[in-house]
Amino acid sequence: MKSRILGAAALTAAAALVLSGCAGGESGEGAPIKLGSVNTISGPATFPEASEAAQAVFDQVNADGGINGRMIEYKITDDKADPATATASARELVGSDEVVALVGSASLLDCEINAKYYEQEGVRSIQGIGVDPGCFSSPNIAPANIGPFNDTTLTMLYGSEELGLENLCVLTSVIGSTGPAYQAAVDRWTEITGKEPTFVDDTVPYGGADYTPYIVKAREAGCDGIVANSVEPDAIGLIKAANQQGWDDVTFLLLTSVYSESFAAAVDNSAAGVYVPAEFYPFTEDSDVNADWKALMEENDITLTSFSQGGYLAATFLVEVLESIEGDITRDSVNQALSDMDPIANPMIAYEYQFDRIAAQDYQPGGWPVTLQSGTNAWEQAADDWLMIPAS
Amino acid sequence: MNGGALLQGALSGLAAGGVYAVFAVTLTLMSRLVRIVNFAQAATGMFAAFIAVWFASRLGMPVWLATLAGIVVGALLAALIGWIAATWLSEADLSTRSAMTVGPFLLLMSLSYIMFGNKPQPFAPIFNGPAFTVAGVVVSWVTVITVSLAVIVAVASALVLRKTTIGTKLRALSDRPTTAELIGISSKPLAIGVWAVTGAISAVTILIIAPTQSNDAVSLSMLIIPAAAAALLGGFKRLDLAVVGGLLLGLINGMVAQINELALVRSFVPLLFIVILLLWSQRKEVWDAAR
Repeated sequence: MKSRILGAAALTAAAALVLSGCAGGESGEGAPIKLGSVNTISGPATFPEASEAAQAVFDQVNADGGINGRMIEYKITDDKADPATATASARELVGSDEVVALVGSASLLDCEINAKYYEQEGVRSIQGIGVDPGCFSSPNIAPANIGPFNDTTLTMLYGSEELGLENLCVLTSVIGSTGPAYQAAVDRWTEITGKEPTFVDDTVPYGGADYTPYIVKAREAGCDGIVANSVEPDAIGLIKAANQQGWDDVTFLLLTSVYSESFAAAVDNSAAGVYVPAEFYPFTEDSDVNADWKALMEENDITLTSFSQGGYLAATFLVEVLESIEGDITRDSVNQALSDMDPIANPMIAYEYQFDRIAAQDYQPGGWPVTLQSGTNAWEQAADDWLMIPAS
Repeated sequence: MNGGALLQGALSGLAAGGVYAVFAVTLTLMSRLVRIVNFAQAATGMFAAFIAVWFASRLGMPVWLATLAGIVVGALLAALIGWIAATWLSEADLSTRSAMTVGPFLLLMSLSYIMFGNKPQPFAPIFNGPAFTVAGVVVSWVTVITVSLAVIVAVASALVLRKTTIGTKLRALSDRPTTAELIGISSKPLAIGVWAVTGAISAVTILIIAPTQSNDAVSLSMLIIPAAAAALLGGFKRLDLAVVGGLLLGLINGMVAQINELALVRSFVPLLFIVILLLWSQRKEVWDAAR
């Protein structure tokens, strides 16, 4: 019996040695560079394109010989918009897989749940699409996009300053702890313009079937512009409720989440128009700016959306940083390189990307106004330059 | 908060109320005639409507033909679920049979994601815009149609059950199933027929409302929750109260949305409705019996 126990102990020890040997060997020259992302691929609102786009970028880099001969191994996890799964996904990537960085993530709650853990473990993340407020308040997270809160300020600025709307009504659907962040976005607009919204209702249901009561309320209040943070189906619900009321002179000021071909196809009557400050250079019209991204997406059969633009950009930024590293690529050397990086200017975004400055929110966010007019079923550019949030 | 705004709110909730009422009526019919609370009722309609859009947009069918085809698909889908219930669960009690319908509910939602993706569908509206204005309040065509549909379905069902032979047979089967079987009434085709008819009604309802509101798989399938709350007013037995329940729930929802002070309870209106009705229905029970 005793010899059996001894035998088992010896085997375990041997196995541990072999495994640790393997682990040690992995980080050496020629081993793959491990990257990962936490995404909401299933759940109430999904963002599958960002990590798909990042994957496409890395596949292309690998096909071209990798980073100094080392291949990129990219792992995509699904947090199902569930806090426990999001926690587990982050630990799987950072703890077990020992990724050197996170890139191209797009999740409803990754930042909120995992930001502290990333700081603890000293791992940094370039979110493809930063969604929750946690993505914009951690030194370890610097998204490729400006986020829904800056987007809210921008869309209100466009409505009041460019379109001359006087009575903006804000209808917000609050998911998780986003309420105060949206309120801050509205306050920022007030600070810049000195104007107040006609009313703010932050209890608009998410995933509701019929939004007529909210539209009726807004009409009664005399709103000429409706600012909403709705995702596609809910925004369609709002617009259609206005159609049913015969309310044809109201303008909808929405966020990048509705900027897609399918939204344009589903909305025939957009009243006085839908306006969105697109977080990336508009993709619904052909242009040189998006050509490389578009070709790569079409080649890999990935839907053309702002989410895939974000994932593509996040991956491109990281590849540029990885290529700049001399010597071994480890978590520490990647962190150092992200801190030391020169700002990257890319015409797909309004500002230069530099990890630490974006993470500290020390930059000037901007979006490109696009509009969907009634009867066109197609987005078109509403401006010929970026609309920036003025420094207040 | 003035009375005008409340009236406005109430009328604005009526469109949704009409939809709840139609589904509440079909739920009541199913519960009375085939002993089942069909959780897949709205999901069946949703899937049929998505198929109709697919027929029109991908196969290039004219909209009217695609709509008809969608209704047929709705009827067939419901009949298939009904056939499963009648074949393998004919002796099971109401709870078991109802629990079974959660299967098709989830299946249809997943299938719609796989087949049509997670983006809203481009429905072409059949009825659109405001119908008339009462005291400054716009009432849309969809409100008129859904409320009428609820009343028509309820009245037609009541007439069929009272005045026709099939109705008599259906009532016999629901009241005394064994006796009815013994005197030679075949239950299976009748049960499947009830399923098919309610499936078709669900498809029609979704095809009418989907172009005028949020129309992704989840928000359409989840209409079953307020509908079930509405059907509870009639105890899943009375068609007239199911209609009243649906309309009432819509009116309350619409009014509550106008009152800022009630912001917190807005999402819980159907739940509160259910709790209050359950407490009301138990009001005469003594403690031991009610437990």
